[in-house]
Amino acid sequence: MAAREPLLKIEDLWVSVEGKDILKGVNLTINPGEVHAIMGRNGSGKSTLSYTLMGHPRYHINRGSIIFKGEEIGELPPDERAKKGLSLAFQYPVAIPGVSVSNFLRASVKAVRGKEIPVKEFRQELKAQMALLEVKDEFLSRYINDGFSGGEKKRLEILQMTLLKPALAVLDETDSGLDIDALKVVSTGINTLATEETAVLLITHYQRILNYVKPDFVHVFQSGQIVKTGGSELSEELEERGYDWVTQELTPSGVA
Amino acid sequence: MGETVKTIAKERVDEITKQTSEPAWLKDSRLKAFESYLKIPTPCNRDENWRRTEVDALDLSTLNVVVNDSKEKKAAKEPAVITAALANLGKNLPYIYTTPQSVEIGNADSELLSKGVIFCSLKTALAQHADLLSKYLAPENLPCPDFAQNDKFYLMNQSLFNSGAFLYVPKNVVLESPVLNVLSSGEETSIAIFPRVIIIVEQGAKAEFVNLCTADKHKTTGESQALSLVNSSIETYVGANASLSYLDVSDFSANTFAVSRVYNEVKKDGSLHASTIALGGWQIKSDIQTNLKEPGAKSDIRGVVLGAGNERYSFNTIQDHIAPDTSSTINFRVALKDSSSSAYLGTIRVSKEGQRTDSYQSNKNLLLGSNAHADSIPKLEILADDVKCAHGATVGPADKEQIFYLMSRGLSSLEAEELIVTGFFRQVVQSCPVDGAGDWINSLVADKIHS
Ligand SMILES: Nc1ncnc2c1ncn2[C@@H]1O[C@H](COP(=O)(O)OP(=O)(O)OP(=O)(O)O)[C@@H](O)[C@H]1O
Ligand SMILES: [Mg+2]
Repeated sequence: MAAREPLLKIEDLWVSVEGKDILKGVNLTINPGEVHAIMGRNGSGKSTLSYTLMGHPRYHINRGSIIFKGEEIGELPPDERAKKGLSLAFQYPVAIPGVSVSNFLRASVKAVRGKEIPVKEFRQELKAQMALLEVKDEFLSRYINDGFSGGEKKRLEILQMTLLKPALAVLDETDSGLDIDALKVVSTGINTLATEETAVLLITHYQRILNYVKPDFVHVFQSGQIVKTGGSELSEELEERGYDWVTQELTPSGVA
Repeated sequence: MGETVKTIAKERVDEITKQTSEPAWLKDSRLKAFESYLKIPTPCNRDENWRRTEVDALDLSTLNVVVNDSKEKKAAKEPAVITAALANLGKNLPYIYTTPQSVEIGNADSELLSKGVIFCSLKTALAQHADLLSKYLAPENLPCPDFAQNDKFYLMNQSLFNSGAFLYVPKNVVLESPVLNVLSSGEETSIAIFPRVIIIVEQGAKAEFVNLCTADKHKTTGESQALSLVNSSIETYVGANASLSYLDVSDFSANTFAVSRVYNEVKKDGSLHASTIALGGWQIKSDIQTNLKEPGAKSDIRGVVLGAGNERYSFNTIQDHIAPDTSSTINFRVALKDSSSSAYLGTIRVSKEGQRTDSYQSNKNLLLGSNAHADSIPKLEILADDVKCAHGATVGPADKEQIFYLMSRGLSSLEAEELIVTGFFRQVVQSCPVDGAGDWINSLVADKIHS
C-alpha cells in the first residue's frame, strides 16, 4: 500500500473564511484510484474543504499543507490545479448566462488536456458520455446552468468530470436533490470515473449513493476536522445512529 | 475672431456646395446650418449631454474636411473588410464602400432595383432623387430630435455632410437580406468626415441595413496623436406596418473622435430593431432618439459597448412615446477593460397622449479593468397616467463565482473573463434579427478582447 506516493496528502490544514476559522486541522491521505466518502453535519466545513482544495480565493489557508502529486498546491490558482488533474463537482453550480454548455465544455477540455481536440472527435466523445449520463442534446446549446433544474445541474457536473478525467474528482453532494433514477445514472458516471487512476472524494449526506458507489474509506467530518475514519460499514452505522454517538465517542469534553 | 481659431472654415462649406450637383434647397440649408454653427459655442463636459466627453481635446481648426467628390463606381474587387463582413452576413449582399478617396458599390441587385428599391451613396441619391430626399432633408422637413437643439456637432454635420448612403424601400417591398454600408476612414489622421445615412422603409415594406465604420488601425495607432473626427447623422423612417432591422458596428482607430446621431421614427404598427455595437475609438459620443409617432409603433434598441485602454463612451438614448399604445425596449450592455469609461443616459419620455405605453430600459455595465468606470443615469419624463415603464441598471465587476467556476475547469482568468464578456453580450446580440449578425458580432468582440 505505502509503496506508492499518495495522490493527495492534506496535513493539519487550517482554513478561515472572512476571518472565521472553519477548517481546524484536517488530515487526509488519498491514494490513486481510491474512493473516499466524507459525511458530516451541515455547516461542519465539507464544502469549505472542497473549495479550498480547488483554490477558491475566498478561503485562506492559515496553517498546514495540501500536497497533490508530490507538489504543494496551496498557492496555485484554480486553473493550474485543474491542469494538474484536480476537479470539483460543485454543490451549488453557478449559472453563467450567455455562455453555451458546448462552447464551455470544449474550452475546458482543451485547457485541461493542453491541446486542441478536433471538433469531430470531441463531439463523438461528448455524445458517448452524454448517452451514458442520459443528458439530452438540447443541453449543449443552453447556457451554463441557466434555468437548469437541481438534478440537471448535477448531471452536468458529472458530465464534466467524465470528460476531464481528473486524477482526483471531488464531488460535493452531487447526489443531493437527485431522484432515484438520476441517482443511478450519476452513480454509473462516478463508477466509470473511479478507476485505477481516478480517485474520488465523495461528500455526501446519504448512505443511498454509497450503495452504488463503494467507498474504500468513510470519514466523519465535524467542526472542521475529520474525527473518525472507517470502511464502508461506517456509513451504514451513521445512517442508523446519526452523528451524536461519534461526538460522544470522542473526548468527553467534545471537540473544540 | 476667437471662434475661427477653433472651428471649421466656411471655405469648406463653399467647396462642398460648389463641387457637388446638389439641389438649391440643400445649398441654402447647408449655409444656414453653418451660420448657426458659428454662433453656437462648442459644448463642454459640464453640459449634461456631453458628460464624459473631452470635447476640448479636439482642435477643429487642425482638421481637414474630406471633400470626396469622386463618383460612385462599381467595385473592381471586393474590399477585404466587405468580404469579412459578408462571410457572416451572407455572400453577394449589395454594398457601398466609402473611403476618403472613393465610393464603390458592389453586388447591385437588379431584382431589387426593378421593384423600385434605391440603395446608393447619398451623393448619387441627391443627384438622381432630389425630390424624394427633399421630403426628409429640406430644412422645413427636418426632424427635431433633442440632440439637434443648438448642437454644434449636429449643425456641423448638417452643413458639411459629404458622404453616406441612402436606402429607399417602396411600399410593400420586402428585402429578404441586408444591405451593407461601409465607411472606412482609411489611414489618414487629422481628417474630418461627415457621413449621413437616410433609410426610408415605406408602408408595409421590410428592410435590413448594416452600417459599418472601420479604420485602418495598423497604420493609425502609435506614431501620431493627431486626432480625426467622424461626425455622422443617421435618420431612419419606418412606415406604417413596416419593419426595419438596423445594425450599426463601429470600430474606429484610437485617434478618432466619433460623434454619431441617430434619429428613428416609427409609424402605426411599424417596428424598428436597432443594434449598436461600439468596439473602439478614442471617444465615442452617440445619441439615439426613437420617436414612436403613431399607435402600435414598436422599437427594440440594443447596444453593445466594449471599451479598452483609455477609450471613453457616452451614449444617450431617448425613447419618445408620442402616440398612445406604443412600446419600446432598450438593452444596453457595456463591458470596460483597463481604464476605459462609459456614461449612459437613458430617457423614457411619454407624452400626455401616450397612454398605454409599454417601455423598458436596461443598462448593465461590467467593469473588468480596475480603473474602468461606468455611470448609468435613467431619466423618466412621463406625462401620461396609464403606462408601464420599467428600468434597471447595474454596474459591477465580473462575478467572482463565475470566474472561479470557469477557472476550476482549467480556464485561465483571462479566458474566463473573455467567456463571461462574450456571454454578457451574447444575450443581447444572439437574437439580433439581422441574419448572421450574432456570430459576426461575437467574433468581433472576441478579436477586441484578444487585442
Ligand atoms: N463566506 C462565508 N462567510 C462566513 N461564513 C462562511 C462562509 N462560507 C462558509 N461559511 C461558514 O463555514 C461553515 C462551513 O460551511 P460549509 O459550506 O463548508 O459546510 P458544509 O459542511 O459543506 O455544509 P452542508 O452540509 O450544509 O453543505 C458554516 O458555518 C458556514 O456558515
Ligand atoms: Mg456543503
